[in-house]
Amino acid sequence: MAVRGGEGVRRYFRELSVAAVLGLVLLLLAVVAPAFFSPQPLLSLAAREAPTLVVIGGMALVILGRQIDISVGSQFAVCGVAFGLLAAEGMAFPLAAIVAVLFGGLLGAVNGWLIAGLRLPSIVVTLATMVAWREGLRWWRQGQFVDLPDGVQWLGLSQGGGQVLLIAVAAALFVALAIGLRHLAVGRVVYAVGSDEEAARLAGLKPRAVTFGVFVAMGVLAAAAAVMNAVQSPQVDPKAGTGLELRAIAAVVVGGVSISGGRGTLWGVLAGALLLACVSPGLTHLHIEAYWSRAIEGAIILLAVVAEGLRSRKEGRS
Amino acid sequence: MSGAPPILAFRNLRKSFGAVRALRGVDFDVKAGEVHALLGENGAGKSTLIKVATGAHQPDAGTIEIGGEALGRLDPAGARRRGIACIYQQPALFPDLSVEENIGLRLEGRAGWRRVDWKERRERAKELLQRVGAEVAPDEEVRALSMPEQQLVEIACALGAGARVIIMDEPTASLTRREQERLYGIVRDLRGAGVAVIYISHRLEEIFTLADRVTVLRDGESVGTRAVSEIDEAGLIRLMVGREITHLYPPRGDASRAGSGGPALSLQDVGCAEGGVNGVSFDVAPGEVFGLAGLVGAGRTELARALFGLTPATAGRIVVGGREVEIRSPRDAMALGIAYVPEDRRRHGVILEMAVEENTTLAIHPKIFRGGWLRDGAERALANRMIGQLAIKTAGPEAPAGSLSGGNQQKVALARWLATEPKILILDEPTQGVDVGAKSEIHRIIRELANEGLAVILISSDLPEVIGMSDRIGVMRGGRLTAVLPGGAAAEEVMSAALGRNA
Amino acid sequence: MSASVKASQKSRGWLRHETVLLVLVAAEWMYFNSVGARFGTLDNTFDILRHSVEIGLLAVAMTPIILTGGIDLSVGSLLGLCAVCFGKLWRDAGVPLPVAVAGTLALGALAGGVNATLITRLKLPPLIVTLGTFSLFRGVAEAITRGVDTFTGFPASFLFWGQERWLGIPAQAPVFVVVVVAMWLLVHRMTFGRTVRAIGFSAEGARYAGVPVERRVATAYVLAGVIAALAAIIYTARLGQAKADAGTGYELFAITAVVLGGTSIFGGRGSVHGTLIGVAAIAVLNNGLVHARLPREAAGVLTGGLLVLALASGVLPKLWSDWRARRAIVAAAEKTVS
Repeated sequence: MAVRGGEGVRRYFRELSVAAVLGLVLLLLAVVAPAFFSPQPLLSLAAREAPTLVVIGGMALVILGRQIDISVGSQFAVCGVAFGLLAAEGMAFPLAAIVAVLFGGLLGAVNGWLIAGLRLPSIVVTLATMVAWREGLRWWRQGQFVDLPDGVQWLGLSQGGGQVLLIAVAAALFVALAIGLRHLAVGRVVYAVGSDEEAARLAGLKPRAVTFGVFVAMGVLAAAAAVMNAVQSPQVDPKAGTGLELRAIAAVVVGGVSISGGRGTLWGVLAGALLLACVSPGLTHLHIEAYWSRAIEGAIILLAVVAEGLRSRKEGRS
Repeated sequence: MSGAPPILAFRNLRKSFGAVRALRGVDFDVKAGEVHALLGENGAGKSTLIKVATGAHQPDAGTIEIGGEALGRLDPAGARRRGIACIYQQPALFPDLSVEENIGLRLEGRAGWRRVDWKERRERAKELLQRVGAEVAPDEEVRALSMPEQQLVEIACALGAGARVIIMDEPTASLTRREQERLYGIVRDLRGAGVAVIYISHRLEEIFTLADRVTVLRDGESVGTRAVSEIDEAGLIRLMVGREITHLYPPRGDASRAGSGGPALSLQDVGCAEGGVNGVSFDVAPGEVFGLAGLVGAGRTELARALFGLTPATAGRIVVGGREVEIRSPRDAMALGIAYVPEDRRRHGVILEMAVEENTTLAIHPKIFRGGWLRDGAERALANRMIGQLAIKTAGPEAPAGSLSGGNQQKVALARWLATEPKILILDEPTQGVDVGAKSEIHRIIRELANEGLAVILISSDLPEVIGMSDRIGVMRGGRLTAVLPGGAAAEEVMSAALGRNA
Repeated sequence: MSASVKASQKSRGWLRHETVLLVLVAAEWMYFNSVGARFGTLDNTFDILRHSVEIGLLAVAMTPIILTGGIDLSVGSLLGLCAVCFGKLWRDAGVPLPVAVAGTLALGALAGGVNATLITRLKLPPLIVTLGTFSLFRGVAEAITRGVDTFTGFPASFLFWGQERWLGIPAQAPVFVVVVVAMWLLVHRMTFGRTVRAIGFSAEGARYAGVPVERRVATAYVLAGVIAALAAIIYTARLGQAKADAGTGYELFAITAVVLGGTSIFGGRGSVHGTLIGVAAIAVLNNGLVHARLPREAAGVLTGGLLVLALASGVLPKLWSDWRARRAIVAAAEKTVS
């Protein structure tokens, strides 16, 4: 039985090319602006971006399942404030965090019920919930920050220690997600549902239940990310999370996950996330004005999509 | 073997879809360790029978027995549980996932939080793939596999699921000679292992090579079950086509009409690589109905698509009205006076959600709506005229096409193209799924159109129809035109040419 | 036959949808009129109109795109880009205003053309393409203004169009009306709209009828670009300034108005007047809440709820008939067994 040569490279071409671009960018920075790699700023950058990575992982799950969720930014904001208020009321950190995470799951379940249960299109449902949660939050808090009690910021550790812990937690969550998608039966079913929902139904894999679960998971992860973000400052900003959904979708798409579901890996998404995260600080260190960052991000997304499109056309994929 | 009870048996199965009687009393059974071939022309009821066997449809009457157990109701899960599997021509695999994953997802039952044993998946996939002789790596993406390879994966899944009855629907249709031989070997292995194989095929030589028994379906009835040793090809063909002619077709045109001013359409060695069509040559005169017969997959629709510019021809010459032309798009074809009423009525023939009148004018916007402005009056007038001319039964011209019966939808599709005042009209299965009354009307309309001077190409898998309606009959097989017979030719002759058997 | 039932229900339901929405807008109006002192005045009505012109233009431009079954997330960012380019052309390149207007409209067409090419030529999914251009257009706008630059100091003759009245009504109203009427005619009285709907219902079916699918879809996106540019110019006239963040969030507003107005996100079904009523519903709600001294955030929450209801009401008849069909099958099966 012949295994066709180059299969590995061909299958993971996208992930490898994104990683290659990332490598090039890092190399460029190392040569031209080695200050980028100084430990403390890099650590702070990583800690700041850690919550986003968690959200990106959840978004990868959603898109692999051939859905989309543009309400994660609002979920993030709402759960962050909820956590802050609970902590401010004196609830112990672990409990407050758990309640916030459960609350995120609940928000996700609303999406899941409308999309999987009532069969409404995910783009419009999550548009509706995005607006509803965000405006509801603004109504409730009137833009007021939530002051966290002492001992919550950095989980009571030093800033450096807290940062390391957060990065570790985010990395652990992301890795767990990656492993789950690869090695858990239920993770593989997400791929199956995203690849062909009808075939999944015929095979008895219950695609609607899986879709529901995916949105609940997204809510949970958004909430966890919100908690991780909240503990990095003495206050919780109710406007946090603006634009989060689009950054997450961008990272997922650049990382090689197909928007029509069923293909892509979390490793590619990691590379995509890192690449996009480097744009802003990278520009600073390269002495390019910061106001180019959004344009460059947009260009990267388009390049990634076009590359994917050209490759699919060659393979005759519809 | 002859003493054992059948593992799957149907008695007097009936199934109707609205007015269409798909199964009108089918008796069929298959024993363990037997290959039972199922033969019949298109529309004889084979697909419906398969769907009943797999539990996708429930019969209106009759009994199903599996392993001696009489069943009141069979659903897909139940059929799967009892070991009935079907290898369709369109595999229901996950294109983005690997072969081993596809097999695993099918066979592993309910997904849970358990760990995926990739090693076990790979081993099992390897073993099953070897059993079916597929030269496919387990980690290959299904999308990258050819259709025959995907079929083999499906068979592997069926084997892995411990199927007792495997239904194969035209499995060798797209296989090379070598792949076919390999498949025969697999079928023999299955038989030896005690699996019952229901083998649907048009290839008579296959049936005589592989099968133990053969059943012929005709118009939804099982007209004969014989041991393969007790019948020959001629006998089978007679069973397939022999029928009393209950349908009267409009009188054919006379031969003097042809040749007045040269052919309307002339194909010279036309081929289309993408459609698998090769070296097709024939002429159609104005006023002639040229029937195009053949089995499903013979390339007739692909030829029509080439003539209409949907998948342009890559070889040969097309001559319209004496001028050689290039047809690269439907617009090109329409400009030449070619119209194509496609096979898939619901997806391509009409737009179900739009009104009858809107459907009628969809192809003639530049003509009827000058300057791009809609003119309700003109549209309504045209629609009403067509409704009258074609006797379309509808609540009104504003009713959505989806609210009409199949036959009337077909008339709307026809109306759309008649509005373009074509010179060459290609009809692809115009009476498929249409009730008897509408069928006659459509036949009458086709003959009237020909009498008015249109050159009509009638693609049909309904043998009596194509024989009764056509002035001449072209028979296609494997993408080539294998014979041109005169209208009214014997059914056996047409079927033989379609099956590739030398007359 | 269920498709037929669905189709006829929907074509009746479609009319019902807009009527319901119109009733809703009327109800909003009456409520706020009774509760807010200044609400029902002409001045306030003009205020509502002034504030909804740009979004209205974007929503109306979005309608043909969604009718084809596509989507355009980049119109808000394009508004920002066009506003900034307009300002730059006039202030830094010293180009006379009418020429700057023409140049901006051309830019809008070009940008729409980028979307169109990627979507129709490369056959890329509209959601992701316009997500990319959403970032790209805004990013270029930010780059041009270096993130901080604001273009101001426009002559009064220009600001007139956004801030003053002409013959008693806000000056941008006639422009808005002209564009809306043109779009309405295009979608409802011209073959363009008919073919666009056919594409939305079944692109393959349209192709078989000889419809030039790619050309039509491309036209829709280019048109949206031009209209976004027009909206940018009016926006600049209204605010008296052009900044890179102009139009932030407008695309979502526009999509909400379109879906609320009864246009199906899957394509084929919908109307320009429905979109307008959707815009009115949102605009009246936003304005009325202020007058009723209610929190303006309620608008967002209510709009989200309305959107879900609008979607669900389209789906509910089908769910109902599905449920009944399932019960019928079970009942029939029980009969066979016994």
